[in-house]
Amino acid sequence: MRLSDASVVIRPRTSWEAMDLGVLMAQEHRLLLMASWALVSLPIFIALSVLLWQYPSTALFVFWWLKPAFDRLPLYILSKALFGETPSLKQAVRHWPRLLKGQLLASLTWRRLSLSRSFLMPVSQLEGLDGQARQKRLGVLQQHNAGAARWLTTLGVHLEIGLWFGCMALFYLFIPQQVELDWDWQRLALATGPEGLWLEHLSNAFYALVLVFWEPIYVACGFSLYLNRRTVLEAWDLELVFRRLRQRLSSAAPLLLLVIGLMLLPLGRPAMADDSPPTRQVTPQSASQSIKALLDKPPFKNPETVTRYRFADEKPNTKPQARGDGKLPAWLQALLDNFNSDAFKHLAQGLEVLLWSLLAGGVALLAWRYREWLRTFVSRRGPRQPKLAKPTPTQLFGLELGAETLPDDIASAAERLWPNHPREALGLLYRGLLSRLLHDFNLPLKTADTEGQVLERVQRLQQPQLLAFSDELTRHWQNLAYGHRLPPAVVQQQLCNDWRTLFSSGVAR
Amino acid sequence: MPSAPLDTRYQIETPEGIDLPLRPAGLLPRARAFAFDLGVRGLLMGILLVPLALLGNIGIGLGSLLLFLVSWWYMVLFEVLNQGCSPGKQVMGMRVVQDDGTPIGWSASLIRNLLRFVDMLPFGYFLGAISCLQHPNFKRLGDLAAGTLVVYRELPLARPKVPQAPALRLPFALDLSEQRAILNFAERQGELSAERVQELASILATPLQVSPARAVEQLNGVARGLLGPT
Repeated sequence: MRLSDASVVIRPRTSWEAMDLGVLMAQEHRLLLMASWALVSLPIFIALSVLLWQYPSTALFVFWWLKPAFDRLPLYILSKALFGETPSLKQAVRHWPRLLKGQLLASLTWRRLSLSRSFLMPVSQLEGLDGQARQKRLGVLQQHNAGAARWLTTLGVHLEIGLWFGCMALFYLFIPQQVELDWDWQRLALATGPEGLWLEHLSNAFYALVLVFWEPIYVACGFSLYLNRRTVLEAWDLELVFRRLRQRLSSAAPLLLLVIGLMLLPLGRPAMADDSPPTRQVTPQSASQSIKALLDKPPFKNPETVTRYRFADEKPNTKPQARGDGKLPAWLQALLDNFNSDAFKHLAQGLEVLLWSLLAGGVALLAWRYREWLRTFVSRRGPRQPKLAKPTPTQLFGLELGAETLPDDIASAAERLWPNHPREALGLLYRGLLSRLLHDFNLPLKTADTEGQVLERVQRLQQPQLLAFSDELTRHWQNLAYGHRLPPAVVQQQLCNDWRTLFSSGVAR
Repeated sequence: MPSAPLDTRYQIETPEGIDLPLRPAGLLPRARAFAFDLGVRGLLMGILLVPLALLGNIGIGLGSLLLFLVSWWYMVLFEVLNQGCSPGKQVMGMRVVQDDGTPIGWSASLIRNLLRFVDMLPFGYFLGAISCLQHPNFKRLGDLAAGTLVVYRELPLARPKVPQAPALRLPFALDLSEQRAILNFAERQGELSAERVQELASILATPLQVSPARAVEQLNGVARGLLGPT
């Protein structure tokens, strides 16, 4: 055992920290420990299950009782790995039968239920002590840390149970829902007889799997507790440092002697300090100058020349400086200067025009391509509303306007009415005009419109004949209706004729 | 042999260049602290719920509120207001800190205690235990999410007794670990057997240029010299 080869930091720890170190050690060799434990314990578990198929609880109990026998393998691996000689999986499993030789009976019978089992296991397995010597050793070891070892086993029992139930819960959660429908959890739990057997063996298997994970950690924690107790008892950490110190000093001693010997040799020429050079006259001016010169040099100032293109009118005076810098090869500089000359100016302008027109064309093309979209979403007037069919007024200033209330040939009817009922005749003509305007010319007349407003609307139709006739008829109608002045007979005939010429189609209707 | 030996220390370097070694606490002490906290909570609920049960419906309502407070806020309030120590951690000499060693705040404490319910899945801290056993700094999932660490508190130390001896100075320089080892040697002599003390001291007998029999006294003298006048 060479402490300097230890793969853990050796120093006295509290008992809980020592167990944490055990967890770390198990972590370090997790795969090896779990694989070797599984290789050794699972075949025995399967054999037990097959042999005791009718008695799953007994099988589990026997398996649980055999734990100390399996525990020897992780302890062997950890003790080897502590000093850097980690065995391979094959070596470890092959070595297991040899590990079983010493004190197996004791560890499987009266020491089986000891709560500090993992803490004391290294005494018999690694130190090989037995009988009186072992008892003495245990007495020394158990002065401290024994309580922690008992806690370790107690917590370990609870953790095993927790992980075991966790595995079963996980398994239950992963059962597909269709299967679960047929399974009643309570019925399963209470199931007895042959159908419940395989389920119990399944839960036993979960326990075996939990042990694959947890038991190496348990052994490692006990082992690290043991190591810690030995470290405290025997001051391993101090021994380590003292040995290192002695090695350092002993390797330094010959060197020290050599140095002293060399010092004692008479030296031919004693080393003397050189004569000091004549002091220079320092004035404040020269000092400040030298300071300035010093400040202009690195690391106070790091001048750096940067060459880049810029607009000509920005700083034209920098151009020659940049050229003189010589960072660009001469031929490239010449080429660039050539590009700046007038010869290419027209070409550049042409290109510019071309590019701008391309841009404009592109924008126009885009606008054309999306004209529908633009009209729909960008137009300021908003979407064009479908024309509402406004109800056409049936009456204007008390005159019936429905086409059905008028005779077919209005002019003839008016001529017939003129002699006896001039008022009705003129009224008929005016009603006829309004009705035509409303129905044939689709003039948007409203019930609130006055005669003047009707005339204004007619004016907008831009039909001079119609406008003149409407003007004439409206004037005479107003004279008659509001002023009771009959139009002269000539006018009466004139109106009827005008009507006929204007609405000749109306006659045919 | 791994390049860095395994250790249960978590080193933090502060911006001032000071190394703060923290000692993360593993699953087993934490499980014990949790069990203690669970017991305290159970006792508290038992004592408070009995008179509330006599009050009928109001009692049931108040009891539900109390249950909520105790189950969701017990840990958070204690951790934030009591320097990272719930009663169980206080008893076990542990505390919760942030990953960088600063005291835990409201958000981190809330996160790590809300995620406790993820750690409990699917039964009895299954995920939390596995995460705790597998993480190099023993973090459960809530600790990973909140960026917190459960460490051992630095407990006040009793003044160690150094055996009386005339103070000595060594003709060669010692580095820090060597100085500490010599001081430790002097302080821990009481715990070691006399033979072992002699054996340890004789390792350094040659460099100290004394006979092995006088090495212990010599080393105690050096320790006195290192300690300075007290």
